[in-house]
Amino acid sequence: MPIFEVHLPLLDEIKTKGLKLALQGMADNAVERLTSGLGISEVRAVMRDDPPPRPNPRLKPHAEGFWLHMRPTYYNNLLDGIYPSFLLGWLSTFFFTFEIITGIFLMVYYTPSPLVAYDNMLNILSNVPFGRLMRDMHKLGAELMVAIVALHMLRTFLTGSYKKPRQFTWATGLILLLVTALLSFSGYLLPWDQLSLWAVTIGASMAEAAPPEIVGKTLNLIVRGAPEFGAGGLLRFYLLHVIFLPLVGLLAFGVHYYKVILHGHSLPPEAEEVGVDTARKVPIKVRTYFMPRILTRELFWVAILLAIMVLWSAYLFHAPLEPHAESLITPLHIISPWYFLWLQGMLKLGDKVIWGVILPTILIGGLLFLPYIEVGPSRRYGHRRIGLSAAMLFVAGIIILSFMGTPFYGVDTSPEQEAVAVLVPETEPGPLRLSDWDELETGVYESAAWNIAPNRTLRDLLHTFNEEIEIAEYGGRTGWEGVMVIEDWQPGLKKITLRVLWIDQATGDPGEFNNSTYLHQNSDYGQGE
Amino acid sequence: MKLTVVLGTLSFFVLVIAIVFIAANEQDRMESFTQSYQSRQIETGAALFENNCIICHGPQGRGIDSVGPAINAADLFNGERLGSFGFSGTVENYLRGVISAGRPVPSEGTDFPERMPTWGMDNGGPMRDDQINALVEFIMNWEEVALARGEDKPDGGTPGEGVGTDITIALPAGDPEVGEELIAGTLACAACHVLGPAGPAWAAEAGIPGIATRAESRTSQDDYTGEASDAVQYLIESILLSDAYVVDGYLSGIMPANYSQRLNVQELADIIAYLQSLP
Repeated sequence: MPIFEVHLPLLDEIKTKGLKLALQGMADNAVERLTSGLGISEVRAVMRDDPPPRPNPRLKPHAEGFWLHMRPTYYNNLLDGIYPSFLLGWLSTFFFTFEIITGIFLMVYYTPSPLVAYDNMLNILSNVPFGRLMRDMHKLGAELMVAIVALHMLRTFLTGSYKKPRQFTWATGLILLLVTALLSFSGYLLPWDQLSLWAVTIGASMAEAAPPEIVGKTLNLIVRGAPEFGAGGLLRFYLLHVIFLPLVGLLAFGVHYYKVILHGHSLPPEAEEVGVDTARKVPIKVRTYFMPRILTRELFWVAILLAIMVLWSAYLFHAPLEPHAESLITPLHIISPWYFLWLQGMLKLGDKVIWGVILPTILIGGLLFLPYIEVGPSRRYGHRRIGLSAAMLFVAGIIILSFMGTPFYGVDTSPEQEAVAVLVPETEPGPLRLSDWDELETGVYESAAWNIAPNRTLRDLLHTFNEEIEIAEYGGRTGWEGVMVIEDWQPGLKKITLRVLWIDQATGDPGEFNNSTYLHQNSDYGQGE
Repeated sequence: MKLTVVLGTLSFFVLVIAIVFIAANEQDRMESFTQSYQSRQIETGAALFENNCIICHGPQGRGIDSVGPAINAADLFNGERLGSFGFSGTVENYLRGVISAGRPVPSEGTDFPERMPTWGMDNGGPMRDDQINALVEFIMNWEEVALARGEDKPDGGTPGEGVGTDITIALPAGDPEVGEELIAGTLACAACHVLGPAGPAWAAEAGIPGIATRAESRTSQDDYTGEASDAVQYLIESILLSDAYVVDGYLSGIMPANYSQRLNVQELADIIAYLQSLP
């Protein structure tokens, strides 16, 4: 008996069937294993949209493969379009995956330390092939994902899909929304620039407001790792961003999707009798099979979305990168990320504890338990006038609060600072830095005489400046004037001084505010950094 | 279904082409970002220089006599200065080191008694490495002009007999144009009185008359605390004994108190003549 035996069945097959047929058989076998049940001819048939033979071999991958066993083998025809899902749940999943992939790429070049984090950003932008693209796509994907997940929740409410038996699915969905927002928020801090530090500081200040004081103080310490953001806080946010929140998200996603499949995708409200849920059993006549139709369409969307994301990030959207974080310098207008503006708006309304802690907690709790409280049986739009009106009011309220979160509402700043910030804002490049360097001719220009400035660029800048000067108003001050001084400072470097002058009515004393900006001819703002 | 397949395949090709195109341009993009970042470093450095350095090194880095050496100077960039004390690194290395660590003792053989403070966080100063690098980029941006100017060292006012502190001194006829050059040069007056807000502006603006007109009425003001009896004496006093009277809204002790030694009587006359030309 041989102690070692090699047997290649392929050789036997070549002997009996000939080389060509044997190789074909082997390839067929390999494809069948990879697809958990579909041979080459069947894959081809799927691609061609041929009708399936009986028994349908296309069900096999769902039964035997890992990936497709999570997906239903067929959907109701009524769900085979944009309405009623608007693909929002699928899009959320797409972006979650997209963020993981781009995120891992960025992790390779990132160290969560205030000493080097900002340098890492510069390195990603200046030294890593596809670095800027990946960073922009990650940021764009994150913002889109927040919007999509929020819309997904709104859609679920509008079609009444949170109602029995899907209450728990709704609750896990709310957790996913919170995880998404927190993921985006924690990622905000990582570049360690002025924008990230201050936007996150606003958010974290809410933790501090939690009553009683000892709890708030402790929470604040836990979140920031120290009384103020520093090495500890950055590391914590990084770990939240790359480990904790994705894990929670993945778990919640697993439960969420399991429940979706368990109860069946909810049908359009008008398709069912009131109080009846037939989503789970799909009659044979109204089935759309996953393979090929749903699979093809999903691949279609992946291709379209990837193309959109790459083109959008490469040519239109660039993630901002401001100057290095500076805990001693608070920029003039700091705003939180847009999806938390409503919270910032609420904080302006009054007490931090009531508006920043108690109300948001009630809001989240209310949404969590909504399907257990609102138990009206009908999902029809016509039967849910109060609920739908409440949803619209809620959305309107969020929009109004978000507006109130912006600097346009309830922020008292001095007009001289505002006037200067219109040209050289502290949180974005702004018109002066974006203007044509060569047209910034040296000289002294009065804003009131903007229309006689030597060129278009200066006229536009001075006009913008003057509009702010004209509306400047501050108790007891008159005689507002704006002056722009442009000097050659160094080879390729100009110094632009913006000066706002006024007279104090009571004392007759003059006052002035100066701001110097230096501008290099090659600084090339507006490429996103 | 067919349309889906066709469009999907098409957008897949668009994706591939886009990525190839981006890849082809990636080298240029990275270089252009590097350049624009360096330019922004220069901008940042300029602001840091104005806030921290001009008090000793002058607004254009040409140095201030008896206070701080010129750094916008050919001998720094052509290696002469570094060679004189055997520094073997680059000019950037030297600048980075000196800015970060400062100078614990005045350099031997110089007339700069002030010690250079330590600026780097590593050495107990306020600045991060990226800020020090920005300052270095800004200073290095002078290389071209400083070398082109060559050995022609900045004229910091001829050393000579100090004018002293007698505000009733009789002045010779002054030339306002020479005065203007002096204040823009190493005396560094312009740093506070023209460019920055640390001292009262000399020029007329916003309905406030210039220094010449203000000087006329100053001595008759109720809160005037100095000894001058006319406009010229007031201007002399403001330069030589600047804390005798400090204009409301400004701090005392900021203006250097050494002009009585640094100026000779002709220079003082030229400066006064210039100031009086600013109604």
